[in-house]
Amino acid sequence: GSRLLKGYRGGHVVIRFARGGCTNRPFYRIVAAHSRRARDGKYLEQLGCLDPLPNSRGEKVAGLNLERLRHWLGCGAQLSPPAEKLLGLAGFLPLHPMTVTGAERLRRRRAQEAVAQPADG
Amino acid sequence: MAALSAEVPARLLRTARALWGCRPRRGLGQDAATAGGEKAAKPSFTDEAVQNLLYKMTGLNLQKVFRPVKKELKPPTYKLMTEAQLKEATRKAIEEAKKRLIMPPVLDEREPIDDVLAEDKVLEGTETTKYIFTDLTYSVPHRERFIVVREPNGVLRKATWEERDRMIQIFFPQEGRRVIPPVLFKDEHLGTVFQQDRHEDVLNMCIAQFEPDSADYIRVHHRTYDDIEKHAKYDLLRSTRHFGGMVWYLVNRKKTDGLLIDMINRDLLDDAMSLITLYHMLHPECPSAKEAKEGKLQGVDLIKAFAKTESQKEGYIQLALQAYEEAMATSTAS
Repeated sequence: GSRLLKGYRGGHVVIRFARGGCTNRPFYRIVAAHSRRARDGKYLEQLGCLDPLPNSRGEKVAGLNLERLRHWLGCGAQLSPPAEKLLGLAGFLPLHPMTVTGAERLRRRRAQEAVAQPADG
Repeated sequence: MAALSAEVPARLLRTARALWGCRPRRGLGQDAATAGGEKAAKPSFTDEAVQNLLYKMTGLNLQKVFRPVKKELKPPTYKLMTEAQLKEATRKAIEEAKKRLIMPPVLDEREPIDDVLAEDKVLEGTETTKYIFTDLTYSVPHRERFIVVREPNGVLRKATWEERDRMIQIFFPQEGRRVIPPVLFKDEHLGTVFQQDRHEDVLNMCIAQFEPDSADYIRVHHRTYDDIEKHAKYDLLRSTRHFGGMVWYLVNRKKTDGLLIDMINRDLLDDAMSLITLYHMLHPECPSAKEAKEGKLQGVDLIKAFAKTESQKEGYIQLALQAYEEAMATSTAS
């Protein structure tokens, strides 16, 4: 059957990243799609984009269509964890707890390495 | 570097209406209010009287306004017209020229943005680069768009004007504008362009690239006007839409002597009188303004009074006036 006119049983709308770009050069589109669709497949609407590689000014550029995002969140869409973390960084949602946890884990690991290094060397 | 097409005036009309309508600005060169409070009668660039004077001085040289722009080579079209049709075509050309001569806005420099929305010390050390988030809602005007930056130290702040302009150009590209401003607009390179007498092209590019209240726009315009005033190349901008802005700049800084001499040398006495009227409107407390008001001077007397009291190059102005009067005498005699 046709891959585009698929009907699914169950599933819900998610706002997540669809990877585009080339090998070793990712580019993510923030997309509202059915959860059962392929990651890069047919989506309902594109809500923005994220370039994970920094540009010549040292910035990672992200665009978010906040009005449509609000619309889909109002329709009951769910967010994937990376999308939630990005929106937390943007200030649209509160900071994701895993961002905080990740930061603390990183700090603890760096502290342990700093202690281990002088002990060895 | 071709001059821009006629799309630009329409866009400028919209920008001009949007900017002038919502933010009435005072003219250039006027400092903040003194202890005595600002004078309510101080005319600004957008006043009708001022605009009329500037428009009269700009002149309407159809040959220069509709000078051929570098485009694709097409063979010229010839039309056979009656006298009436020719008159109609000229009238339409004059209307079109008036649209092309609408002056770009003159605004004060915009205040830098530094507003912190959130500080999250927990994020310090996790990232090495900053994130810029732009709101892509289509119906929001660019001035009110949300553009925020999350720094590596966890601070969430509003983006500076330069970052804003860059992001808006990336996501909503405008014709004639580049994401990173061309190197031409740096001070060291402007000199080369000025030597080639391409002031008008530089100003057109500047209007396309920068917002009217950005620091770069104002800096490039002031540099251009200073260079023109230094080398007395006023005729380069006559009959273009930049002439009004130049006159406004010079009158605010009281550097009108060169322009006055140039006008007298080209027998444009009406323009000279408009210039002095504008000067008196902007500096009502100067001695020549008071003299003119008391004596109700007109024409050559007004210029002579102005030259005596206000100008530095009085000698040159007297010489130019003498030459003009001799030319008038010989032409009426013969």
